[in-house]
Amino acid sequence: MRAYTFTQPRSVREAVAHAGEGAAFLAGGTTLVDLMKLDVMAPTRVVDINRLPLRGIKLDPDGLHIGALERMSDVAVDRNVRRDYPMIAQALELSASAQLRNMASIGGNLLQRTRCGYFRDVTTPCNKREPGSGCSALTRINRTHAILGTSDDCVATHPSDLAVALVALGTDVHLATAQGTRTVPLDTFYALPGSTPHVENVLRPGELVTGITVPRSMWAANSVYLKIRDRQSYEFALASAAVAFEWRGRTIKQARIAVGGVGTTPWPLPAVERALAGQPATADTFEAAVSTAADGARPLSQNAFKRELLRRTLVRAFTVLAESR
Amino acid sequence: MTVSPVGRDIDRVDGRSKVTGTARYSADYPASNLAHAYLVTSTIGRGSIRTMDTTAAQNAPGVVGVYSPANPLGLRLVPGIGEQYAPLEDTQIRFRGQIIAMVVAESSRQARDAAGLISPTYDEQPPRTSLADEPRVPAAGPPGHPPSALVLAPGVASIEAALAASDVVVEASFHQPMQHAVAMEPHAVLAEWNSDHTQLTLYSGAQLPHTAALGAAIRLGVPPTAVRLITPYVGGAFGSRVIPWYDAPLAAAAARQLNRPVRLVLAREQVFTVVGHRSAVNQTIKLGASRGGVLNAVSHVSDASMPFVGYRQMQPAVDTSAVLYKTPNLHFDQRHVMLDVPPTCAMRAPNEAPGAFALETAMDELAVATGIDPVELRQRNYATVVPGTGLRWSSKHLDDCYRVGVRRFGWSARRAEPRSRVDGQWLVGMGMATAIYPGNRIPDPVQVRVRLRDDDTAVVSSATADTGTGGLTMLAITGAHGLGVPLRRVKSELGDTNLPPGAPAVGSMATASTVPAVEAAVNAAVAELIKVAVTDPRSPWQGANSEDLTYENGHLRGRGISMSFGRLLTTVGRPSVEATAAAQPGPEATQYEFHSFGAHFCEVRVNRYTGEPRVTRFTTVVDVGRVVNAQAVRSQIVGGVIFGIGHALLEDNPLELDTGRLAASNMADYMVPVNADIPAIDVHWLDRPDSVLNSLGARGAGELGTVGSAAAVGNAIYNATGTRIRSLPITLDKLL
Ligand SMILES: Cc1cc2nc3c(=O)[nH]c(=O)nc-3n(C[C@H](O)[C@H](O)[C@H](O)COP(=O)(O)OP(=O)(O)OC[C@H]3O[C@@H](n4cnc5c(N)ncnc54)[C@H](O)[C@@H]3O)c2cc1C
Ligand code: SF4
Repeated sequence: MRAYTFTQPRSVREAVAHAGEGAAFLAGGTTLVDLMKLDVMAPTRVVDINRLPLRGIKLDPDGLHIGALERMSDVAVDRNVRRDYPMIAQALELSASAQLRNMASIGGNLLQRTRCGYFRDVTTPCNKREPGSGCSALTRINRTHAILGTSDDCVATHPSDLAVALVALGTDVHLATAQGTRTVPLDTFYALPGSTPHVENVLRPGELVTGITVPRSMWAANSVYLKIRDRQSYEFALASAAVAFEWRGRTIKQARIAVGGVGTTPWPLPAVERALAGQPATADTFEAAVSTAADGARPLSQNAFKRELLRRTLVRAFTVLAESR
Repeated sequence: MTVSPVGRDIDRVDGRSKVTGTARYSADYPASNLAHAYLVTSTIGRGSIRTMDTTAAQNAPGVVGVYSPANPLGLRLVPGIGEQYAPLEDTQIRFRGQIIAMVVAESSRQARDAAGLISPTYDEQPPRTSLADEPRVPAAGPPGHPPSALVLAPGVASIEAALAASDVVVEASFHQPMQHAVAMEPHAVLAEWNSDHTQLTLYSGAQLPHTAALGAAIRLGVPPTAVRLITPYVGGAFGSRVIPWYDAPLAAAAARQLNRPVRLVLAREQVFTVVGHRSAVNQTIKLGASRGGVLNAVSHVSDASMPFVGYRQMQPAVDTSAVLYKTPNLHFDQRHVMLDVPPTCAMRAPNEAPGAFALETAMDELAVATGIDPVELRQRNYATVVPGTGLRWSSKHLDDCYRVGVRRFGWSARRAEPRSRVDGQWLVGMGMATAIYPGNRIPDPVQVRVRLRDDDTAVVSSATADTGTGGLTMLAITGAHGLGVPLRRVKSELGDTNLPPGAPAVGSMATASTVPAVEAAVNAAVAELIKVAVTDPRSPWQGANSEDLTYENGHLRGRGISMSFGRLLTTVGRPSVEATAAAQPGPEATQYEFHSFGAHFCEVRVNRYTGEPRVTRFTTVVDVGRVVNAQAVRSQIVGGVIFGIGHALLEDNPLELDTGRLAASNMADYMVPVNADIPAIDVHWLDRPDSVLNSLGARGAGELGTVGSAAAVGNAIYNATGTRIRSLPITLDKLL
């Protein structure tokens, strides 16, 4: 760990004034401190944002508003969240461990860094950590890496479970800088790696996430987050599916779908949504709808199985949702 | 009359200190003027260091010493024991993650920061990393454990001929990756010298305290008597603390140079390379049998990775295929592939766990091939004498383990046809396998001291180790049993080389080896007590014949007088009497074969959509002789089974063939089971004392549960899915 200055502002204005190039906001610290110890992140200024008034889990006619500093565990147990947005509670409860969820914030969760082992190991080449140094995962250990949205420069997955659920639900992210505030849809917030894998999102230097809004919808209450992994807890997804259906009788009127563990960003699947819309909830519908889910996938030496796993994860999620009607 | 605690559910005597945080582990010991060390390790797999600039580290805040090949600490290697290189003594790189420098500073953070400023350049050579590589060299086993063997029935020309003459032949090849012990407590040491550097005290986790102290002494070039090692609490070992690594010698050498105590705690990622792991191994099993499933030939060949730096040789066949089933023709060959990988060590059930995974999976395949129930198949091939040697077992009730296990588990509900049980989204399968592990006592003498005190308490002391296994509680239980006094009046001590040399906490031998020594020490202490009774002028028995006095349940009796030992000692004005005694095995050690046995039964569910296997029920029935502490034995078997489930489903650390880099460096990436992966595990023991082994009849139980449990899981997965996976771990991608 390197020397850095440390401040604890009390207002958003003060916080963003402290931020900028070389600075990092500290929320729960479960990503930041970890990566600072590993020398992967080396901010010269750490701005502790835990005293900012970015709290609150509120449901109003516009939807669900969550402050950036709400803890994962608090959001997961919120009654409104559990009733109206069950996939959010499920995505949170299937993340990390109870201890981590007690520390980790919603803003930090959306901005957590990839778990690619090379990214975390400064003795190896990694374009995301050190632009231009090469991508070790491309030809080496890559069983857990992405098959969608990859480039020749980076194949790392985005690790957040929550973000997958939020993308499926059409969430907005609220941002602030010294210049003012703006709101960005989460599905355009994350950047594909392309030739600049170190650029992970549209945040400007020093920009702060202040909160999110998940709109009200006819489908959020009928939703599920299914996470597939080797270990039953305390592991990131090999594949995950956030699925919400709006029903009309036995027919799926509309579907909202995003998947995790397979893409370089939380990955919406509009083609699969369209294939389900207006169809009866039958096994045949599901199989037909997922046939294109992994189109465009670029499997690596060890993760070709993710194409089939992705399709099966979706069918399983659809089946669970249909059975729980 | 005092009820013996033997066989009851006894809480750990140190449980309170552990859960309240007062138990001191190696890194918890304080010292004044303490300095902190941090290691730098190599980032290439083979070659040599070309340059290493340590100026920045030397000038970093708080740094008091930087040691490197340019400024080495003069450590020596111990020929034949542990790693065959001495760190910092040359510039050669033998594996990725090798120690190449050490920084000592005023605080651990300063040491770590400064270590990060050292970035050497290398002359690289391609590391040799593939198990498929040549040359293969035969294992050189300990005496009586040949690396290879061939037993043929009269008139049979070769093992191939025996196989060819069999009705049914099963041939299967298995792969098991490297495995790590990942004990919760990272390896840590505090090294402190006296003022004239003639005496060193090491606080460091060890399974064999005296051996660890000796190893450190040789590496430091000081007499063995100059080193005291203190290790009362150890946060897990599983074999990773058998052989002394270089952490303690490095810290001690730096402490000597700097004239102040030095603490070195390995970073978690360093634990994966600086201390040993279990070799990766490929195995091929061939079984030839009659249509009725009776074995005619067993062949078991293994190729295990063997680091050029040493030290542990894997021999998966000797204690599995060579002893488990009756067969007229037996062949095994255990070979090594020399590789540029970190040192290996004897991880829990070092040979037996991989050996049983291969053999017990192959037996399941034979059950499928012959259409015979897997339990019935094993009973048809039950060995009553060791194949080849004809030696009899001291005590063997494996047949009862099968019988009891079948009943407790409900094995009769199993359907032989794979994929025949479906429950919603899940395919349900059942599998079983046998467990076998040597039940020996250590051949060397084991010493125990018993001290009787004037307050009617006793102290039982022996320099064995409690690596979380319950050794401290075992000492207290066996002491209370021998003395016939309540457990609460017995204090036990271990983990200090100032105590009499005790049993090593390895090979599931600690209890079986210690029990006779406790008994001998109790008898010797009582003899001392009687000597005091008949000679001390203040004793009511002064002048009596020793033979007239009897000791029972904490009291001396004779001539119509009865007195507790505490009363007598108070009366004669002595705070205590004590005696040290030793015990070692007699001729029975070579007249019998000693093993613990068990049978695992397991139910697995495999998701029909996404393929993930989940263990949902597990029953293990064991024959471990007499149980000393029911709670400890249950925990050991449960822990062993969890190890096996981890091997079956999760544990893996992929090695990059071109760099020699291990993929996992932390406990999030190196996956061991979490609670959610483990169902309630039903453990039952037969409680048949092994009176040949020792007076209590207690055999070891620490490693047994790990043997065969992975095969039971794999066999259940086959029963659920019809897919046979012979390469561990069995992950969902292999079942899609
Ligand atoms: C062992 C382990 C297992 C895990 N398993 C999972 C899992 O299964 N699923 C999962 O989804 N996650 C998992 N996580 C990740 C965990 O959810 C994240 O580390 C956590 O959500 C990050 O939140 P934080 O508040 O601690 O962020 P911090 O560590 O404080 O910050 C993370 C990053 O975001 C920036 N940041 C934080 N808050 C803001 C803000 N308001 N505005 C702008 N920038 C900000 C920081 O500067 C930093 O770069 C795991 C983590 C660990 C250590
Ligand atoms: S996949 Fe991305 S994060 Fe991983 S090594 Fe390649 S560039 Fe780095």
